[in-house]
Amino acid sequence: MDLSLTQDDIKFRDEVRAFLKDAVPPDMKRSQALTTGFSSEPEVAAGFHKSLVKKGWSVPSWPRQYGGTEWTPVQSYIFDTECARAGAPIYNGAGQRMVGPVLLKYGTDAQKQKYLPGIVSGDDHWAQGYSEPGSGSDLASLKTRAISDGDDYIVNGQKIWTTFGHKSNRLFALVRTSTEGKRQEGISFILLEMNTPGITVRPIVGNGGDHEFNEVFFDNVRVPKSGRIGEENKGWEVAKYLLEFERGGALQAGRVRAQFTKLVKLVQARCPDDQAVISKLAELGTDLDAMEMIDISTLSALQSGANPGPVSSLLKLRWSQLRQDISELAVDAIGADALKFIPERPLFESLQLPPDEEEMLTQTPRYLNFRAYTILGGTSEIQTGILAKAMLGL
Amino acid sequence: MDLQYDSAHKILRETAERFLSEKYDFRTFRKTVDSDAGYSPDVWATFAEMGWLAMPFSEEDGGLGGGAVEVAILMECFGKNLVVEPYLASVVLGGGLIATLGTPAQKAELLGPLVEGKTKLAFAHDNRAPTKATLRGNDYVIAGAKAAVLSAPMADTLLVSATLTNGTTGVFVVPVTSSGLVLRPYRSVDGNRLADIELTDVFVPGPALLGGNGDATQAIAAVIDRAIAAMSSDAVGAMSAMVTQTIEYTKMRVQFGQPLSKFQLLAHRMVDMRVAEEEARASCLLATLSLDGPADRRTRAVSGAKAKIGRNSRFVAQQAIQTHGAIGTTEELPLGAFAKRCLAYEIMFGSTREHLRRYSAVIADPALASAGLLLEPASA
Repeated sequence: MDLSLTQDDIKFRDEVRAFLKDAVPPDMKRSQALTTGFSSEPEVAAGFHKSLVKKGWSVPSWPRQYGGTEWTPVQSYIFDTECARAGAPIYNGAGQRMVGPVLLKYGTDAQKQKYLPGIVSGDDHWAQGYSEPGSGSDLASLKTRAISDGDDYIVNGQKIWTTFGHKSNRLFALVRTSTEGKRQEGISFILLEMNTPGITVRPIVGNGGDHEFNEVFFDNVRVPKSGRIGEENKGWEVAKYLLEFERGGALQAGRVRAQFTKLVKLVQARCPDDQAVISKLAELGTDLDAMEMIDISTLSALQSGANPGPVSSLLKLRWSQLRQDISELAVDAIGADALKFIPERPLFESLQLPPDEEEMLTQTPRYLNFRAYTILGGTSEIQTGILAKAMLGL
Repeated sequence: MDLQYDSAHKILRETAERFLSEKYDFRTFRKTVDSDAGYSPDVWATFAEMGWLAMPFSEEDGGLGGGAVEVAILMECFGKNLVVEPYLASVVLGGGLIATLGTPAQKAELLGPLVEGKTKLAFAHDNRAPTKATLRGNDYVIAGAKAAVLSAPMADTLLVSATLTNGTTGVFVVPVTSSGLVLRPYRSVDGNRLADIELTDVFVPGPALLGGNGDATQAIAAVIDRAIAAMSSDAVGAMSAMVTQTIEYTKMRVQFGQPLSKFQLLAHRMVDMRVAEEEARASCLLATLSLDGPADRRTRAVSGAKAKIGRNSRFVAQQAIQTHGAIGTTEELPLGAFAKRCLAYEIMFGSTREHLRRYSAVIADPALASAGLLLEPASA
């Protein structure tokens, strides 16, 4: 047993580093560093995506015939980690990591042909329509109705927490196609164009000042049935498959390590003698090391074809907590500077200050926005409930 | 990178678990702890037969050529089954020092009987008073005092660290029967045996200095890190047992007309306990796999594990007791012994706070803080 990369891994890592050196120029890196929400602004990510397309790396986790790279799990991990180290934007998550895998598993050939190329090229931006005002953790209670009308559905209802719904041209959504029988058995998974008449998007500004989430209203929206993934009323299975990717598909170590490294520097600059902060910082470091080892163990299991077990809920539970803890200590470390709040977004446009002062202004928004980490993608309570069944057999 | 246990590892774990679950139940533990010797000579002889005492030593030293992973597997099983035989003191610390520092002659003389179960060692290191060794003719004269020496009451030979006249540190082989040596044995909270030791002009021959004249400070630090990693596996085993026993208990214990395990609050608490255990296990594995790597990486991994597992084991022990209710606060169940074992873990070889400080110092280097855990082939 060992933690060493192979010579081939190192060669690959160096190739990724060389690529990132050009693909993440200083202004892009600054924009990403001043991002206080969860994802990069699509305009920022677009430039990076273009470089990825040119390199053939825009959808690495997919099969080669659809533009993927078929990297080993270790290579994918190296790639994600290096992107985080380089401060690269977080691009096209809903396309590559959510609806993409769903299309690959459940889509017809025609659907794959229609939708996959836009994800590969970055021309399409996808949003997720799962939650509703009355259906959060209890997702299967969703009410947005799709009534059959010939070759179309007529959709009425409302979605909420739609990340970048205002900047997406496509939406995948769960809708109710039947009110008979078990509630899970009346749900279908459909794809929509955001410019379809009857769709209205209303912004929801997060407590940290960022506009990422939206409400999406459907008023007699006509959606062709050809955009349904899987059979009618079988959307729940598709939804659950996707949630696996949302929760555990992406190992977090690289991003959290980068967040932690910034905190180490911040503490050294701002409160190098504050023993309480330093002690908490060390605790977070040991948390991070332990979680990274769990990540790597998962990777090792995948690499050797073993089953990593019910680990995706554990990873979601603990990584989300750790991201919050780091953002919280950052606010503690900067004292009264945490009071100053710039409401204009994006910060990379509204600020023109020395880099360390600019960074200071990201801490409070990030702390506030990151409260959502333990809620989105299945709350910590939901994950814990899953683990009680899967890990403890309760 | 490979974190999968191979088939030899799995066989070792199964063998150890089978033997201990058959021969080392809670009653055995209590009987052993209350015995005069504080350990079972029969069990120790079986450890020798199984080859466990030979595990970490190279084949040329008469060992089985196992490494830190094999020791970790055994220690986790020992922790899970409340084993109090002096494996950590005798094999990991004592044997480890001899294997690291000893000359071929010293290794041949000392490791052979250790591996066969004929002699047991203890490492007297923490000073109660400054301990010095002075050369007088061909002999060394050692004077000073040591505190809380693990498993010294059952050891035949002590390895005593002492400051030499030139200011460096040496480790001396000192038979417990030496004149001028006084042991004050006592029990540790977890059932182990400790002793405070006074050395009043204890004479040992020149060849009793392990390895000759080089400074042993680095070697001692490395062996102690090895012991911390091994003891961390023990603590993980204890945590695992506590979590499992708590889950089983809540399935049986009925209150308000249903098993406790049906209450969501308790189910979620037990998930938190299991997650704390998994994190501890991961942290421990990092320490285990970092023992032969670069020094700063080793410090980060070992002190990080000690601090993390100290914190998590305390959490698991306290939650296990709370979830059991009144019975959890007693000596009646194994739980009480596991909780005390974890308390001893937290205290020995530097407290959680001390290791957090040591960890802080190494990650103050941004290069280390930002480095992931996967290693370059060259530095592995």
